[in-house]
Amino acid sequence: MKRKIISALLALTMVISMTACGGGSGADSNSGDTAADAGAGDAAADAGSADAAADTGSGAEEAAPVEGGSADENTLTVWTWDPNFNIYAIQKAAEIYAQDHEGFKVEVSEVQSDDIETRITTAVAAGDLSTLPDIFLMQDNSFQKYATNYPDVFTELTSVGIDFSQFSAAKVAYSTLDGKNYGIPFDNGAVINCMRTDYLEQAGYTIDDFTDITWSDYMEKAKVVLEKTGQPILTSQAGSPDLIMMMLQSCGSSLFKEDGSVNIDGNAELKQIMEIYVQMVKDGTLVEVTDWDQYIASLNNGTTVSALNGCWIMASVTVAEDQSGKWAITNMPKLDGASNATNYSNNGGSSWAISSNCQKVDLAVDFMNSTFAGSNALYDDVISKGALATWAPAGESEAYNQPVEFFGNDAIYAKIVEFATHTPSNITGAFYYDARDAVGVAVSNICQQGADIDSEIKTAQETVEFNMGG
Amino acid sequence: MMSKGKKFFMYAFLTIFSLLSIFPLYYMLCAATNKSIDVIAGKLIPGTYLIENYKSLIANQNLGLALWNSFRNSFILTILCLLVCSIAGYGFEIYHDKGKDAVFTVLLTAMMIPFAAVMIPMFRMFSTLNMVNTMAAFMLPSISTPFMIMMFRQASRSFPHDIIEAARIDGLSELAIFFRMFFPTMRSTYAAAMTIVFMNAWNNYLWPKVILMTNESITMPMLVANLLGGYTVDYGMLMLGVFICTIPTAIVFFCLQKSFAEGITGAVK
Amino acid sequence: MSGSSKKGFTLQQKHGLTGWVFLTPAVLLICWTSFYPMIQAFILSLKTGMGVNLSFSGFSNYARILKDPTFKQTLFNTFFYLIIQVPIMLVLALILASLLNNKQLRFKGLFRTCIFLPCATSLVSYAMIFRSLFANDGFVNTVLRGFGMNPVMWFANAWTARAVIIIALIWRWTGYNMVFYLSGLQNIEYSVYEAARIDGASPMQTFFKITVPLLKPTILLTTITSTNGTLQLFDESLNLTNGGPGKSTMTMSHYIYNTSFVQSPNFGYAAAMSIIILILVAILAILQMKVGDER
Repeated sequence: MKRKIISALLALTMVISMTACGGGSGADSNSGDTAADAGAGDAAADAGSADAAADTGSGAEEAAPVEGGSADENTLTVWTWDPNFNIYAIQKAAEIYAQDHEGFKVEVSEVQSDDIETRITTAVAAGDLSTLPDIFLMQDNSFQKYATNYPDVFTELTSVGIDFSQFSAAKVAYSTLDGKNYGIPFDNGAVINCMRTDYLEQAGYTIDDFTDITWSDYMEKAKVVLEKTGQPILTSQAGSPDLIMMMLQSCGSSLFKEDGSVNIDGNAELKQIMEIYVQMVKDGTLVEVTDWDQYIASLNNGTTVSALNGCWIMASVTVAEDQSGKWAITNMPKLDGASNATNYSNNGGSSWAISSNCQKVDLAVDFMNSTFAGSNALYDDVISKGALATWAPAGESEAYNQPVEFFGNDAIYAKIVEFATHTPSNITGAFYYDARDAVGVAVSNICQQGADIDSEIKTAQETVEFNMGG
Repeated sequence: MMSKGKKFFMYAFLTIFSLLSIFPLYYMLCAATNKSIDVIAGKLIPGTYLIENYKSLIANQNLGLALWNSFRNSFILTILCLLVCSIAGYGFEIYHDKGKDAVFTVLLTAMMIPFAAVMIPMFRMFSTLNMVNTMAAFMLPSISTPFMIMMFRQASRSFPHDIIEAARIDGLSELAIFFRMFFPTMRSTYAAAMTIVFMNAWNNYLWPKVILMTNESITMPMLVANLLGGYTVDYGMLMLGVFICTIPTAIVFFCLQKSFAEGITGAVK
Repeated sequence: MSGSSKKGFTLQQKHGLTGWVFLTPAVLLICWTSFYPMIQAFILSLKTGMGVNLSFSGFSNYARILKDPTFKQTLFNTFFYLIIQVPIMLVLALILASLLNNKQLRFKGLFRTCIFLPCATSLVSYAMIFRSLFANDGFVNTVLRGFGMNPVMWFANAWTARAVIIIALIWRWTGYNMVFYLSGLQNIEYSVYEAARIDGASPMQTFFKITVPLLKPTILLTTITSTNGTLQLFDESLNLTNGGPGKSTMTMSHYIYNTSFVQSPNFGYAAAMSIIILILVAILAILQMKVGDER
């Protein structure tokens, strides 16, 4: 009797493990098949992994880590996230590169930016980098965090022949640590002030009245606009520090000092900026909305006069086709009295990185150098998806100087590339998220709970220092 | 019988509760049939943009593959989980003694630690075993869950002991009693458990995203996440994706609810 | 059958052994995929350092918790949700289940499916819908205005934001818990209810004297899982309010996740906080087992 049960259970466990493993090998052989019929658009990212796993047999950690990379000599694996943006761009780049390099292709896995970060963090913490792809895209805001904590994840690109001077300096700074380059800049996050000209007209202004101005001027005009049109000049996502960060970067100030120490308490520009923000909320010229969807809605529904954000916001603005011709683009206001203040800043954007798991570094570098760091054709093409270059030569091409109907027939692309060249650098560092978040919490407490500005700034400083002390 | 007033109150209560509950589904349906810009404007009337949303969805994402993977994964996982957990729950309750009760209490702690904390050790474990990107690595952590074991343990408490005794006298083995007596009698528990396990398996996101890194293993929640990832979100397409992702669980529930909510009185006797 | 027992086990012992065999696969799997990583997490909690450069530092991470105002805030938030939401949700689920267990009720299947649907709804849409419902010019405020009341900036105030989270939780999980009660009710003989009715017991009396005591094992199950679920609450905090305004709605799990994957990673500290959650849930579960698991 007992034996019967045990044998039944044994059989059961065997069935379980077989089903489970069977499923596994099934998935792998699938990918093998896909890889076999090469050229099929989005071929398997793990084409190599099945083979590699079989070859290396035991000791995944010691063995040459090639699992995530592709086994094919002419194929690079990529993790990136938006089919209409960066996935399109890398596939276009591969197409261009393949014209001179027969058989070259990229295998793209669509992975959300948060998930790319989670996977990298998990892989590094587990001590197994073999699952990483050859190339991945990373948000600029996170880049320093990874470069500082896990430099081993990246292939250093300082002296591989990429001319970083052709990119905007502020952009390159995001992926540079201690003078070493870890990333190839991709899309532009230059801040634009995107305004509804029909509202401005009602208030008696033109877009020129908002070009090269200061915040005090802007705040006064905003009141007039509110009075005449009934609409706030800006909307902002409650609790999000984005606007504050843009303003801070525009005057060359950062949340960290050169030596990496926190620069929140005692940062005169930051306090001035927070006061502007709070004042505008009080004036009703800046309305806080609950979340990102509401923010986009305010742009599309005409419940705000302008969007002050990274230039990628244009893609969301242009969704409202009926508003074509009613928008114009200019630069952002600059901070009064700050010595390094400019009308230019940055928000968002991302950079390509070549992972340390890449076995074909030469190929990957050459690919990047011939495309994202050297192809006008690529940048001229991806402009259709709203991806703007930070590679300066791109701005000179004809495509960038085309008038855009939606924005009043202005040659906005060349304008934005030019904005990017004026943007001051921002010191981010490993704790950039922590610091941004602390500032966001402070602003939210001040605006929404009526907390005292000085004590909130002090708390923010302490929070970041606490996190750094761990 | 119930008075008219009470009856009215009961129906009113249930109707209001039901309407509140399905409102989001209605919202999804409206959103899935409208253009992104109308969705964001808060339009709450079904539109005519369904076909276009569907076209852009299948152009952007491998919907068929994601549906198939989700179905296959959830199905296999549900069967394995029910098998392993129900027999364990039965074992804990029917043969309970001090030792087993103690083991059970210890087992319970396995569900009490946040997943974020065990994810990295778990990944390390499977990567050492060379099991990254295998279905086994994806499923093993969810096959045996203290929650399901407890569900069957608690449900076994109402399983009449005299049936077991009678079966033993009839010469049935202990395993046969489980399969031939317990299994059919507890259909309602199995149906309820199946609904829950299927739903959890279907919606599982974080672990598969980390352990299954190939394009071939995309599941519905991953597909929905992909729709949310870009600089611009097409809300119509997103909501259609979400809607398609919700329907299977709803169907599973609808098909099973009769078996767990309208009993099978008589099967025991 | 009992005669084949060669080693002379008593029947009792044999059954005890059979029981162990029955639960072995499940227990082994849990040990392998849960306890082993948990022990690793505990070891991690004794280490400090950034990124991958970790070194042993005794209990310094635990000492750090005591000095962390964010952890205290998230601890408070989480317990607040637990104390308000779990009882309301479970009572509501119990009432709905016993109403829907009524044999005379029409459209039972429809009602049940509707009430269950919220928990099947994908998190993405549910969070989006709740945020838009409670937005400043959202549906809820429109209704409030219609009744002549002042609109509420739901997400701008700590207490109203917490209220939204609780409402969302109740909305999402009541139907889920109802499933357990419904299935538990099927194991109660309908004749018991018949008898009670003949004896002239009011529905109230039937509910408290028959339904609740007989459902006790199921109530224990749902209490423990809801307690556990609430103390590990993550999705709502992240997707509905993102912890805001400030950190006034952030949960412990959300903070742990941020510490590992969003902020500059501090795995040792995240692990230490997770162990604290484990201990808290375990204490509550043991208490609940003591009270509710008598046979």
